[in-house]
Amino acid sequence: MEFKALMIIALGAIFINNFVFSRFLGICPYIGVSRQLDSAVGMGAAVVFVMTLASAVTWLIYEYLLAPSPANIFFRFFALTEPPDLTFLRTIAFILVIASLVQFVEMVIQKVSPSLYSSLGIYLPLITTNCAILGAAILNIDEQYTFIESVVHGLAAGVGFTLALILMAGIRERLELAEIPRSLQGIPIAFIMAGLMAMAFLGFSGLKLGM
Amino acid sequence: MKDIVKLGLTLMVITVLAAAGLAAVYSVTKPRIDAQRQMETERALTVALPQADPESIQAVKDGEEVRYYQLVDDDSQVVAYAFVARGTGYSSVIETMVGVDTSGRVIGMKVLSQTETPGLGTKVEEIRYGETDPWFQRQFIDKPAGDLAVKADGGEIVSITGATISSRALANSVIGGYKKLIKEIQSDSSGLALKSEAQ
Amino acid sequence: MSAWKEFSKGFYKQNPVFKQALGLCPTLAVTSSVENGLGMGLAATFVLICSNVLISLIRKGVPNKIRIPVYIVVIATFVTLVDLAMAGFMPDLHKSLGIFVPLIVVNCIILGRAEAFAGKNNVGLSLLDGLGMGFGFTAALCLLGAIREVMGNGSLMGFPVLSASFEPVLIMILPPGAFLTIGFVLGFFNWLENRKDAKR
Repeated sequence: MEFKALMIIALGAIFINNFVFSRFLGICPYIGVSRQLDSAVGMGAAVVFVMTLASAVTWLIYEYLLAPSPANIFFRFFALTEPPDLTFLRTIAFILVIASLVQFVEMVIQKVSPSLYSSLGIYLPLITTNCAILGAAILNIDEQYTFIESVVHGLAAGVGFTLALILMAGIRERLELAEIPRSLQGIPIAFIMAGLMAMAFLGFSGLKLGM
Repeated sequence: MKDIVKLGLTLMVITVLAAAGLAAVYSVTKPRIDAQRQMETERALTVALPQADPESIQAVKDGEEVRYYQLVDDDSQVVAYAFVARGTGYSSVIETMVGVDTSGRVIGMKVLSQTETPGLGTKVEEIRYGETDPWFQRQFIDKPAGDLAVKADGGEIVSITGATISSRALANSVIGGYKKLIKEIQSDSSGLALKSEAQ
Repeated sequence: MSAWKEFSKGFYKQNPVFKQALGLCPTLAVTSSVENGLGMGLAATFVLICSNVLISLIRKGVPNKIRIPVYIVVIATFVTLVDLAMAGFMPDLHKSLGIFVPLIVVNCIILGRAEAFAGKNNVGLSLLDGLGMGFGFTAALCLLGAIREVMGNGSLMGFPVLSASFEPVLIMILPPGAFLTIGFVLGFFNWLENRKDAKR
């Protein structure tokens, strides 16, 4: 049962509610970094990694620091009469956590694996302002996911984003050779391609995921 | 090293200032936001329990959380219930306030929140020109809340064209919410029997 | 003269959406109707103006090394302010914009203007810059919203504008329509530019 629920969340985040094609999250890097397959793979891997980590950390922060739940740390250790409601600090706390997390991951990768750093490093700073990361964190809270569900959702959403990015990069590499009207070259044709792919992804909405 | 401490402190001071400012704003807006929610719930209840005197609707709570609502008549007999049903639609969770009488028939319903696809799934709330209530939800009225299905699944409810998922989600959420309601009522010591058709 | 230039550059010459391809997520997500586009545009404009002014005011006191985190805190504060105010006073709009209200914080236009302009210029010019860019953003959202709403729903600002015999092209208000619309609108602006260049 538990596993089935997780599968539904994962497949839903990859195909039905794909971050790029249906939720419109992470469009800037999607258009910006999809020119070449290599960079698309690099960016995708960085996003999957950070998104999974950010989902876990932001969920913990929300549950134990911000939400007015009995588990709230301020409530437990500072002898307050009732759990404080700090949910209004969600946006500010999440974006700071994500920014520091990205910085931290960058430092760790640089120390541990210089070769990985040289391939992923340039994409990491771009991730802070990638709305897909903050979007995933906020969605986890809005959908009232548990900790495990949040992590799975973050991971799957990252995979869905990577899928979209790689598909697009594959097509754009070929588009280089195609004859396109001059006005549509570059970003406009990328958007039109994305529109066609979004149509294809609409087909997934017919999937009946054990509901 | 000293530099880092200084920078960190600066950043912290700024963040604390921002948080304090927001706390002030929040304390001003919170009553308004709560009032809005309260008003929305009350409005939904008047639709889910039509012709009910708002005074005689009681919220059955577990701590802060409302489990369901009950409508009592002059002899404090429960004559109807209302509950919030949740179902996953196409792109959002659809929340609906549903009213049922003691025989388990739907007497009224109102969608509380949904962000389905504009023009398709959002038609669960569409009110046709010249009418006063949403045509899709009207189909639920007088049907047993425990036994609802769209035509594609062998039931009687006509789906919204192009939005079978949203239509089905609404039907299934009412069934699920109703089953939960029965359990909640049975677990209450008052043990008010509800003739269940959903077993 | 230069003040007017700072104000008006956001309208067309440096339009954040059409010329700089910034802030695309909300641009695509909320433009299924003019009303949503307008609401999002105004909310982002408010944040943009406030953050530009405040950042310009504190720019000399902020150590260079931590300026980006400071900018983010400032922006996030104003975004939360808008979020709370909208939830209290315009609950319907707040609901239909949904997750994209808190996501204004990662709208690259706002951080971009803070870094490129407000961190280097005085308060007056930063205010004008924010106003102009915000206006350009709002106009872009309204244009896209209008195209999609008319074609996809046969209405404008919620009022029917096309005859009943017109069958709405539903795909336009579905996600693919957003991509197609912005693709062709960008193409159209490119075409205008190309024609201008050719005449010269």
